[in-house]
Amino acid sequence: MLKIIIPTIMLMPMTWMSKPHMIWINTTTYSLLISLTSLPLLSQPNDNSLNSSLLFFTDSLSAPLLTLTTWLLPLMLMASQFHLSKEPLARKKLYITMLILLQLFLIMTFTATELIMFYILFEATLVPTLIIITRWGNQTERLNAGLYFLFYTLVGSLPLLVALLYMQNNMGTLNFLMAQYWTQALPNSWSNILLWLACMMAFMVKMPLYGLHLWLPKAHVEAPIAGSMVLAAVLLKLGGYGMMRITILLNPLTSFMAYPFMMLSMWGMIMTSSICLRQTDLKSLIAYSSVSHMALVIVAILVQTPLSYMGATALMIAHGLTSSMLFCLANSNYERTHSRIMILARGLQTLLPLMAAWWLLASLTNLALPPTINLIGELLVVMASFSWSNATIILMGVNITITALYSLYMLITTQRGKHTHHIKNIKPSFTRENTLMMLHLMPLLLLSLNPKLILGPLY
Amino acid sequence: MLRRALQPGLSRGVLGRGLGTHRGRSTLGKVEGSGGYRGSWVAPVSSYVTFRTRDPTHDGKTVGRLGEGDQNGKVSEIKKKIQSVLPRGAWNPLRDTSYLPPEHSDVVIVGGGVIGLSVAYWLKRLEKPQGAIRVLVVERDHTYSQASTALSVGGIRQQFSVPENIQLSLFSVEFLRNINEYLAVVDDPPLDIQFNPSGYLLLASEKGAAVMESNVKVQRQEGAKVCLMSPEQLRNKFPWINTEGVALASYGMEHEGWFDPWCLLQGLRRKVQSMGVLFCHGEVTRFVSSSSHTETTSGEEVTLRRIHEVHVKMDRSLEYQPVECALVINAAGAWSGQIAELAGVGKGPPGTLQGTQLPVELRKRYVYLWHCPQGPGLETPFVIDASGAYFRREGLGNNYLGGCSPTEEEEPDPGNLEVDHDFFQDKVWPPLAQRVPAFETLKVRSAWAGYYDYNTFDQNGVVGPHPLVVNMYFATGFSGHGLQQAPAVGRAVAEMVLDGHFRTINLSPFLFNRFYLGEKVQEHNII
Repeated sequence: MLKIIIPTIMLMPMTWMSKPHMIWINTTTYSLLISLTSLPLLSQPNDNSLNSSLLFFTDSLSAPLLTLTTWLLPLMLMASQFHLSKEPLARKKLYITMLILLQLFLIMTFTATELIMFYILFEATLVPTLIIITRWGNQTERLNAGLYFLFYTLVGSLPLLVALLYMQNNMGTLNFLMAQYWTQALPNSWSNILLWLACMMAFMVKMPLYGLHLWLPKAHVEAPIAGSMVLAAVLLKLGGYGMMRITILLNPLTSFMAYPFMMLSMWGMIMTSSICLRQTDLKSLIAYSSVSHMALVIVAILVQTPLSYMGATALMIAHGLTSSMLFCLANSNYERTHSRIMILARGLQTLLPLMAAWWLLASLTNLALPPTINLIGELLVVMASFSWSNATIILMGVNITITALYSLYMLITTQRGKHTHHIKNIKPSFTRENTLMMLHLMPLLLLSLNPKLILGPLY
Repeated sequence: MLRRALQPGLSRGVLGRGLGTHRGRSTLGKVEGSGGYRGSWVAPVSSYVTFRTRDPTHDGKTVGRLGEGDQNGKVSEIKKKIQSVLPRGAWNPLRDTSYLPPEHSDVVIVGGGVIGLSVAYWLKRLEKPQGAIRVLVVERDHTYSQASTALSVGGIRQQFSVPENIQLSLFSVEFLRNINEYLAVVDDPPLDIQFNPSGYLLLASEKGAAVMESNVKVQRQEGAKVCLMSPEQLRNKFPWINTEGVALASYGMEHEGWFDPWCLLQGLRRKVQSMGVLFCHGEVTRFVSSSSHTETTSGEEVTLRRIHEVHVKMDRSLEYQPVECALVINAAGAWSGQIAELAGVGKGPPGTLQGTQLPVELRKRYVYLWHCPQGPGLETPFVIDASGAYFRREGLGNNYLGGCSPTEEEEPDPGNLEVDHDFFQDKVWPPLAQRVPAFETLKVRSAWAGYYDYNTFDQNGVVGPHPLVVNMYFATGFSGHGLQQAPAVGRAVAEMVLDGHFRTINLSPFLFNRFYLGEKVQEHNII
């Protein structure tokens, strides 16, 4: 694991010491190389884990997420080049340092063995994200957004610290690999229910669960492009990953404690999908679509069957790539028209046909078109929740329909129709942008050829 | 090496720049020329504060220590910075900036008169779905002391020669008649715009009679209710009129009259604020734009510009706020020409589309209020004489408003709004006294002057986008009949912005292109 972590740490001095015209080239190339070093971890031989040391390990759940994280850094750097081009050099370097720091914390979070270390790094990821949102965001609302983001996550995760310390006291260790063999069934008592809640709330807020999702539209919309990408693609998955790890220690309470959260998630998934149909701001639409997809992941994790876990992991990776790609596309629109409103930038297909192709593919993967991994994830989750309770199929079916509706609505509003007069002279697509979209789409489409890489430990 | 790596950051003040000061880097509230104030941390709200925070000892230091190492200067800079951050220092990162416009707004409307507010109203009303677009109205003078709207005589008529003008007026009248349905705000009293539907009476001499007849035909086709009167009928209907020299008169029987423009303005303002439009008390000083060169299908090179940011300067201050925007709507009235120049309209060799300027300029017009106890009664329409002099009844106390447009040679200097009373004596009173004998004895109570946003090309409005500055829309140049067309023009511009074409009233003859192509839409009935 150090072969990924130390190069990531060293990216920071490299940024500061690069010549001004080389900072982007250096950082992007080296982070791409680091992502290639994390690819071998995807070949997990069995459902056991690859333990690199006492501190770090990967198994088939964390390896795809780790690869996604490392893959995302070069993409984030490519996407940020335009809006940082006018900033002074020191500030550019500071921004890149924040991204690298965030990357570092995320890598360590996904590979941590010790749950307290996981917790510390989970909290530590908040700091660079907050700095990115509040310092480089576009509008005055970003201060509000940063505040919401910070405090929702902090308040949710403080009980988690208490719960982890209690469990450390109880079990003697929080090393995840050992803890999974040493867990005892938690008897049903009030204090154990509180323990369950304390453990899960942090991740529920992070996912986010429907009732606690208020921070997400704000944070996503106000963040600059790299912030949006990393938030949508990776930080939300931290919640899913944490839930998957910690539910192992919380049996058998989950079987009945999960009910209210499942109800909230299923209802929330339909609600947020419907809100998407009424959104005027493009980034806001994609943010609510993220909430909707993550609600499916919450349902899957709480159902706790092998099929649902496979669906959850597949959906997390698929959604990470799709959502990040949609944000990049929305950002390419924003950089040209300086407005995030969909109706002010319509009919782009005639002006930027190649970008329209990327929009089409991104929308199609967003609505879970076969044979993409989005569909595999969603289908497995739907099947698992059907076996949990037959009635959920109605809700899931409605959600899939509404997802298709808003994805196509977004596509048609931005791409089809007659273009407005004032976008006649937008700059044509840059090679950088096309590369960015292709690098998002390529893993997504290639994984549909070999989905077992991302189907998690229970495949 | 480490020092070298860190130096580019620290020596120019990473700390200094990163935390919202006014050295031209943060986006909230910048000051022109503040790049020269090294070590000045205070956010200057007005110019005198800037001067107060200039540190004289700092200047002395740079002079006295020429040649000595930079280190001492840097250390004392850092010390000063630390001191200002500590509690009794001068730097406050959380100061109140609520007077500044937002950093981003989808549409920026330059000019808060009746046209600008009408565009804002219709944009908010026609957008689907509701609440999508963020609109910012930038108005330089919130007292509207020089705005054409407030100083207008307030008449509305359909007696134009251009069909589009008639259609605009017809819709505007319908808007004004139902103003309390259009501009209703919860819990606010209804508006009373005091619409006096007394009609317009245009008088024509022998020369103009044929033109008047054809005009009336066009007006009737469009649906205006106008009747032609011979001098006999005139004398029967209006006994106070002297029909000498009058061959024909056209009298608008419905939907014409005058109203209170201030009330319309305030009603629109109130409604538009309730719909979520932001107002800003500032002046547009700069447009930051980018250009791209393209080739037309016939192979000639064309430069298209796109406005990215609008710099709004605060009132009585050097501070300005860059507002990032997608669209700019030029509704600055008489000053539209200056705004268009700022945006780069007309910068090019004359005779080309790039060199075609917006031909809107300020023209001063006088309005006089007089009292005449034996004057025409309450039924008096808005009379426009063949000579160009006009008057209308004002109130119920035998007061009358009137004036006359000066000829091209005697245009007054538009530098100020001073009234020339001799103009009344020489040019306004004689024709009016000849037409209405009762006006031979009158007493001028007061007078004022206002600006026309005069379109020197064809005296009709300019509506729609500019072909080269792609995201600037015009709604200006109405040359004295802007107020009466404001609601309809607002709707037309909103349709153009939202749909890309005019939907209800087709104002394509009023697009900017006509200045380059030379197609005049000449309006014959201009007062």
